[in-house]
Amino acid sequence: MSLTETLPVPALAAPAATPRLAQALAGLRSRVWRGALALILPLAVLALWHAATLNGWVAQQILPAPALVWTTLLDLWHSGELWTNLAISLTRVAWGFSAALVIGLALGVAMGLSKTAEAYLYPSFKAISEVPVLGWIPLLIMLVGIGEAMKILVIAKAAAVPITINTQQGIRNIPQPYLEVARVYRFNPRQLWLKVIFPSTLPSLFNGFRYGLTNAWLSLVTVELLASSEGIGYQMVWGRQLFQLDVVMACMLVIGLVGLAIDLFLQITETRLLRWRRAAF
Amino acid sequence: MTYPIPETDPVLVRDEVPSDKHVQPPALWRWLSQRDWRGFALPLAVLALWWAVTRFGLANTQVLAPPEAVLVEGLHQIFNGGFVWDLLASVSRDLAGFTLGGLAGFALGTLLGTSRLAELLVAPSFNAVKQIALFAWIPMISVWFGMGEPAKVVFIALAAFYPVAINTFEGIRSVNRDYAEVARVYGFGRLQLWRRVILPAASPQIFTGLHLALIYAWLATIGAEYFLKSGYGVGNSMIDGREHFNMGSVLFGLVVVGSIGALLNQFAVRLEHRALKWRNRAA
Amino acid sequence: MSTLSLNHVGKQYSVKGEQLDVLDDINLHIQPGEFVAIVGSSGCGKSTLLRLVIGLDDDYRGQIRIDGEKISGTSLDRGIVFQEHRLFPWLTVEQNVGLALENSPLSNDEKKRTIAGHLDLVGLKGFETAYPYQLSGGMSQRVAIARGLVNRPGVLLLDEPFGALDALTRANLQAELRRIWEQEGITMILVTHDVEEATFLADRIVVLQPRPGRIKRVVPVPLPHPRNRADPAFVAIKDDVLSEFGHAPRPQLIEPLPRPFGDYVFAW
Repeated sequence: MSLTETLPVPALAAPAATPRLAQALAGLRSRVWRGALALILPLAVLALWHAATLNGWVAQQILPAPALVWTTLLDLWHSGELWTNLAISLTRVAWGFSAALVIGLALGVAMGLSKTAEAYLYPSFKAISEVPVLGWIPLLIMLVGIGEAMKILVIAKAAAVPITINTQQGIRNIPQPYLEVARVYRFNPRQLWLKVIFPSTLPSLFNGFRYGLTNAWLSLVTVELLASSEGIGYQMVWGRQLFQLDVVMACMLVIGLVGLAIDLFLQITETRLLRWRRAAF
Repeated sequence: MTYPIPETDPVLVRDEVPSDKHVQPPALWRWLSQRDWRGFALPLAVLALWWAVTRFGLANTQVLAPPEAVLVEGLHQIFNGGFVWDLLASVSRDLAGFTLGGLAGFALGTLLGTSRLAELLVAPSFNAVKQIALFAWIPMISVWFGMGEPAKVVFIALAAFYPVAINTFEGIRSVNRDYAEVARVYGFGRLQLWRRVILPAASPQIFTGLHLALIYAWLATIGAEYFLKSGYGVGNSMIDGREHFNMGSVLFGLVVVGSIGALLNQFAVRLEHRALKWRNRAA
Repeated sequence: MSTLSLNHVGKQYSVKGEQLDVLDDINLHIQPGEFVAIVGSSGCGKSTLLRLVIGLDDDYRGQIRIDGEKISGTSLDRGIVFQEHRLFPWLTVEQNVGLALENSPLSNDEKKRTIAGHLDLVGLKGFETAYPYQLSGGMSQRVAIARGLVNRPGVLLLDEPFGALDALTRANLQAELRRIWEQEGITMILVTHDVEEATFLADRIVVLQPRPGRIKRVVPVPLPHPRNRADPAFVAIKDDVLSEFGHAPRPQLIEPLPRPFGDYVFAW
């Protein structure tokens, strides 16, 4: 982080092969070094946790041993229980998110293109989105019961809000200069949509998908904790009720891993899709 | 000390001045006629449908209470029920958690933003733990802190903690180094550098973090009251309402949850606008 | 008033493990109250030279002395006007100028008076409470000049201060700077790529050549003020300096910085 980074670096000839190798090695070394530093804290916590349970500093009913959590996780994995529940949960997310895509894109495009549609729909949309998912859950339970429909509705609401907003804004904020370029070169409507409108709304659309998908996963966990008889969230509640905290913690680990997987998936898709954008949002 | 200035008179680039000061004081009819009423069409249609369905016996009124019953229940809650106590309990635990989590988040964000070593040590773990969905912490928190007030406040604090920590970190880390150089040219000490350069430069993003934290803390408040059912709270009253098939209570709670959320949001926006008026929001 | 002398000043960068000479054997002696312009094509190290003199970069060979004393770090006796004005967007015009007086022994009253005087000097009376986003490029640069002058430095460095301005504003500010220099008698070193600007303002023009940056020639400008840009003698000097510039640098792609670690996505 030297101050020289801000200075214009003079042009230089292509570096020879040897420095390039040295550079790669240096990069590797710094990456290994970083990784090692990153592991210090988790390992320390794990060691402390292990010692605490081993020496009985905290009761097993409050904090299960890390080894126990690990074996429980493996048990759940091998018995297939984990997969069954995870499959149920992910199916719910898939249905809810798909519904949100349809609703969100339709609403967003309509409100983005037509001022009239916006005038009729936006206030209601705003009012509905202003109440968080959690607020809707009791009402939805009363109206459609505790079954699958309620969960999918909850997930769909959570995901549809960011998708709608980002779609609408994406369409609204197509830079005027690009549209003028299109006019100068007399693009036909097909060219206009394909070469200007779609690519310039894409970052915004993607932003909507990204928040939509994360919201879907988060609200799934919430709704399964609150009202469900299967799924990964239910497994947690079940573990909590029986005071099997190893099950609870194993589930937390799985939930974190799924969250990470979603995140990685989104990042990879984004870099693929929006290669021309250098800055992150 | 006046000198001829050849450049054309400097003129400030001004914000667009809100024009309401210049138009004549709006009469009620004017206000009514200028408003866009089209947004009310959809809600009114839903209301009408709802009323018709219950009025003509097309739905079980045990499940779907008629609108007028909901209204009566709402008024009853406001004037006779424990609504005020529920609201007070919710808002105060919301603020307590927000303060606690915000301070902790600010501290961690500052540490990570200031020290490269701290960033390398802590940031990866922080990032990993962040991936665990917030509500997945509820079972463990209920084991560690019980079902009462401490557990709720801890959970709300956790919700407020993440956005403040992340945004403080990002804000401090991305302070333009050009500004720090200006500080060096004028011989600023460490404290001056913080007070005059780093904090103001990072403040927009810190505010973003606080704003998000305010929203998440309110969400977490309702969640905590659903899951850790003890004592008063808007969330408690909604869960009770559902268990007793009291739709009025549930709907009323829903409106309150939305309104308080919107109010907190508005409050944050106003505060942000005031504190950051040096940013050209018009541009 | 200070004499500034550079003896065998050199500077290396290490880029991707390779040592690269940016400046090599720079010798320069600047008299009190002199106006020196440093010109050169981009990449010749002229901005680097200013960073060494202001003290933002201590890693160099040779000596830089003010009145015989080796400089170390930044000092309130050396002021600078950056190319990108670097006003703090969260401070008003007068607060920005006041930054230079944060560590001055003046009383608050005196500070206020000095700031007002310098805003007057640069022609910005009445804009004390404006925020930077409300200022045009020329006005921002005037504020930056006021900030550079307000703590009465012995030497004022100007790093392409008018580079980003339109031609008319630039000409006006050049005249202003000339007037301020005459009135205040401060030693000024101006880095620029605009040869006409250098010829218009400077007593001496130092021409740098790139890779590594070194002094190619020093051209005196013995013309009286105010100078007329159409005067044949003026044009002759300008052309003389311009002839020292070689061909244009080879075009190169910008290499993007890697995305920062911890590009966080908020997960809730």
